[in-house]
Amino acid sequence: MPCVVLGTDEFSPLARAQVTAKGLPGLPVVTVSHPIGGIPAATVAAKAESIVDRVLRGLTTNPDADAAPSGGDTQLVEAPPDIDEFQGWLMERGWGDGLPAIPPTRERIARMLAVTRRRADEVAAILVPRLGRATLEVIAANAVLAGALPEHLSVILAAVEAVADPAFNLQAIQTTTHPCSPLLIVNGPIARRLGIHAGGNVLGQGARANAVIGRALRLILQNVGGARPGKEDRATHGHPGKYSYCLAENEAASPWESLAAERGFAGESTVTVCGSEAPHNINDHASTTPPAIVATVSSVAATVGSNNIYLGGEPLVLLGPEHAATAASTGWSKDEFKRQVWEHSAVPLARFAPENIARFETIYPEGFKDRPPGAVACFARDWRDIMVVVAGGAGKHSALIPTFGATRSVTRQITD
Amino acid sequence: MQIIDPTGSSAATAKTLAKRPSSLEGVTIALLDNSKPNAAVLLARVGELLAARSGAHAIRAWGKPGSSIGASPAVLEEIASEARVALTASAD
Repeated sequence: MPCVVLGTDEFSPLARAQVTAKGLPGLPVVTVSHPIGGIPAATVAAKAESIVDRVLRGLTTNPDADAAPSGGDTQLVEAPPDIDEFQGWLMERGWGDGLPAIPPTRERIARMLAVTRRRADEVAAILVPRLGRATLEVIAANAVLAGALPEHLSVILAAVEAVADPAFNLQAIQTTTHPCSPLLIVNGPIARRLGIHAGGNVLGQGARANAVIGRALRLILQNVGGARPGKEDRATHGHPGKYSYCLAENEAASPWESLAAERGFAGESTVTVCGSEAPHNINDHASTTPPAIVATVSSVAATVGSNNIYLGGEPLVLLGPEHAATAASTGWSKDEFKRQVWEHSAVPLARFAPENIARFETIYPEGFKDRPPGAVACFARDWRDIMVVVAGGAGKHSALIPTFGATRSVTRQITD
Repeated sequence: MQIIDPTGSSAATAKTLAKRPSSLEGVTIALLDNSKPNAAVLLARVGELLAARSGAHAIRAWGKPGSSIGASPAVLEEIASEARVALTASAD
């Protein structure tokens, strides 16, 4: 059926990438000046006048024959041998993240792939929006760029397969204006074997495995998935985890079953990916009882300006070990803690602006449409959707890590 | 120094765009609202102006459940069977 895509000029690169990935690079995309959201309807309607002729032409003129999308197998590229020159060269091609990178030579890639029995040309996943083929070889190339070692490959591979699971909604995570990026949570013996840090400063600098594994996934998403910053990746701000966002659960310091155990992988090595925002601190130096900890955690969770509050999804409470110990001190299970946080994190609908209620009631009518006076919205649709993971070191802090909302976390066993 | 291109290849396959009618006279135009704020306003106004200019017979609107979720196969089939051309949207 003849179709024309309308958009705003700011989003033109994303629309072009999308129609190209769909195999229709000639599909007309007609744009008005950005934005159309958050402005009076009359202004939006006025913008329509400027594009009617182009829309009509797009619907009634046969486009030129489409060029076949570029493709092919392994491509060797000539790069400057000087390591300093290489950095600028890489950035010019849009293949870097701004930090220094290691050249993915054939030798380094061969060393990386020597640890797996899988073939170099095996496609582990197809990554959107570009529909990039994440072969073992191209995954290894990005892992080398990121500074990863061969021993890290199995975690990176499992993470790539996890983000490609339809439940994760990678298309949205890659292209949204929302500040989100896959957070990798590693469980099980592999975390200890590789030294994936779970203790103090867990989301900070200083742990090589965390840094390079998270960075490798980011470079794969950018280079193979084709979400280039400012182009297909439309993030308004992004967040620092878009360089690397990887931790191990501090299983030894947790009073409860691990995330892996909750997902049916007790004692196994797993990686879980979440479409996560940056962490927001939960400071509580005084509480000595579980309900008091819940009150503080819930107050940080209960906000109007959150994706989770109208899109659902699985916000994460990353409990510091000391808060976790207090929360479990009277015998509460992990589920009980989740129920309590959920119950206390309700936001009265009266706190939402009418424009937002009007928007949210079309997206989530059960939560926002024709609700009685005094109705509330919760930061997760069900208490079971709240994720609780223990990580970090000494200190009276935890972190709230909301998500994009229309995304589910995905856990994969690490086997390769 | 030779390196391996870290972007690899794309699995996108070339498809052929639908043949366009020479005019919109008498046809039904489908609008597919992506549910972003004001997308419906822009689509409706473009549809209205388009119909006035081209002599289209009718404009009908369909929706997606959310901007980050694709249209359902049932909606796409309905559009294909009831309209001749379609407009959709992608932006904020």
